[in-house]
Amino acid sequence: MQPTRRVAALLAATFTLSITLPAVALASSTLSISGATASFPLVSLLTQRYAKLNKKVKFKLSQGGTQVGINEVAAGRVSVADVSRDPLPADPAGLVFYPIAKYYLCVVTNKSNPLANLTQAQVEAIFTGKVTEWRGVPGASANGPIDVISRNAAAGTLSNFQTLLIGGKKVSGPKGAPIAEKPSEGLQRQAIEKDPNAIGFLSGYFASQGVNDVGFGGVGCTLANADSGQYAGVARFYEVTKGKAKGAAASFINWIDSSRSAKQIISTQWIALK
Amino acid sequence: MDRTQIAPPIKAPLASLPAQTPPSRLARGRVDGGPLLARLRRPWSDRLANLALGTTSLLTCLTVGAMVALVAVRAWPTLTHNGLAWLGSGGEVDRQIEGMVATSNHPSASAYHVRAWPLLYGTLLSTGLALAVAVPFSLLSSIFIVEFAPKLVRKVISLLVRLLASVPSVIYGLVGIMVLVPFVGNHLVTIPEKRSLIGTVELTGASVGVAALILAVMITPIMVALISDALAAVPNAWREGALALGVHKLRATLAVSLRAIRPAIVAATALACARALGEAVMISMVSGSTSFAPNISHGPLTFLAEPVRTFASSIVDNHEGFGGAPALDSTLYSFALLLLFSAIVLSIGAYLIKLPLRRYQAVR
Repeated sequence: MQPTRRVAALLAATFTLSITLPAVALASSTLSISGATASFPLVSLLTQRYAKLNKKVKFKLSQGGTQVGINEVAAGRVSVADVSRDPLPADPAGLVFYPIAKYYLCVVTNKSNPLANLTQAQVEAIFTGKVTEWRGVPGASANGPIDVISRNAAAGTLSNFQTLLIGGKKVSGPKGAPIAEKPSEGLQRQAIEKDPNAIGFLSGYFASQGVNDVGFGGVGCTLANADSGQYAGVARFYEVTKGKAKGAAASFINWIDSSRSAKQIISTQWIALK
Repeated sequence: MDRTQIAPPIKAPLASLPAQTPPSRLARGRVDGGPLLARLRRPWSDRLANLALGTTSLLTCLTVGAMVALVAVRAWPTLTHNGLAWLGSGGEVDRQIEGMVATSNHPSASAYHVRAWPLLYGTLLSTGLALAVAVPFSLLSSIFIVEFAPKLVRKVISLLVRLLASVPSVIYGLVGIMVLVPFVGNHLVTIPEKRSLIGTVELTGASVGVAALILAVMITPIMVALISDALAAVPNAWREGALALGVHKLRATLAVSLRAIRPAIVAATALACARALGEAVMISMVSGSTSFAPNISHGPLTFLAEPVRTFASSIVDNHEGFGGAPALDSTLYSFALLLLFSAIVLSIGAYLIKLPLRRYQAVR
């Protein structure tokens, strides 16, 4: 009897602790953030710095895509959403968008196909399935059919790419045939890295390694060109809250907006708002 | 095999009961107080154990029931708006689902429009192909492990098989997406093949063939573990009987052991099939996640290189929009309901198939 009782007591104690401990931990304020995979690297750097300066705040960071962030913040499951596209009419009412930085979108190809430049008309023709062969693209060294690697519909980068770089058209295969749609920027880059015939689009941070970034309309897809305003594919990252930001969320967003250390982090790979 | 022959004499457990509950009291309870009173008269610790264990099993049943009910209720709008045509073909199901992301909080009936045939076809195709590879493979390797392998080899292999069975599916997905998909896309799919399908679908290597192959690798260890356990439990005397008649070992195995464990083979296949049907993350990673229905008339190899999407991977791929649009939620729930339903049909079906086979059964 004795050993079983001891085991039972131990189990009961563990159970009670596992319930009460997290509740105790919650006493300091925790800011939960979810959303865009494109802005995740930036937000994660910002939260690390902020948590160092402000020991009372803890962050719970997750990704999932712009639409996840929008849905979760609207439902009150997280306090802040990362969003990589401008507000849309279909977004739930009552959300407040705070711009935190600008980023740029590059058209990218496989490293073995170091295409230097495409005009807007060419990009449009490729991403809407009008041009299907690499030999129809001057300057390309790949041969055979073009593999367009896109993102799923909920991605903020897809919606920005369509408005900024292909004149509001929809990315699609030839005659509307299905194309590869990846659920995250990382997987999209991985697919382009491995496929010599691939073309796709990535935010500047992800385009900076492993793939070849293609100039757009004679302007190279670089941080400097995006910063100077010459490059066309520049969009904004937002932090989004339900109603006006309050408490810890408000001070975090304010800090991004006003502090010099935040601006420093942003200007390493992204563009600080002026 | 008669159960009463193996069971120990009835007196033994009663005699080992504590002194305060003499056997006569238990027996009397049943006779003059009825079963309820007898239960009350049982020692307190027994009653407590009964209650505690009963509650846990009841909780299991309640969880299953509640889950089916929840999924069915949430799936209902999609099912009523589409009727049975829900499983038919028509339009592109990917676009239909994407369109739902932007529908309002009070969707009109047309927002629910979905035709899920390519998903059903993709699910059946990937599962079917995986089983076609896995069933013969696991049967042959279990026979080797149990009947032919030397003791040391047997121990090592069965250890490895059990290890393989517990590898998380996302790891298989990673290997697939890093190694197999690029290999198929760059070396097996030819440029003329790609060209012939321009305007139909993009061949990038992410395909039903890769998905089915990895699925087969995932479900084989489970099947090998179950089948080899059953084979090992076949009484030795049965084998020896066959051998004594002069047949060789393989013949004896096929005619006696394999025949005796047919219920176990059915059960293992059903379990593997359920795992293959429900696999989501790995398939989402390697199948191309495009709701395309691979067409065998494109040629058998091209057919295997065409992308596909299953119900389970469709739920994973679209979870980003979840909680935002009721039409999308309901549609994903309807996929979940179909998966739940097929799991139930599978377990009941396997049970029914096993029934007539039971007379050959060696082990329960």
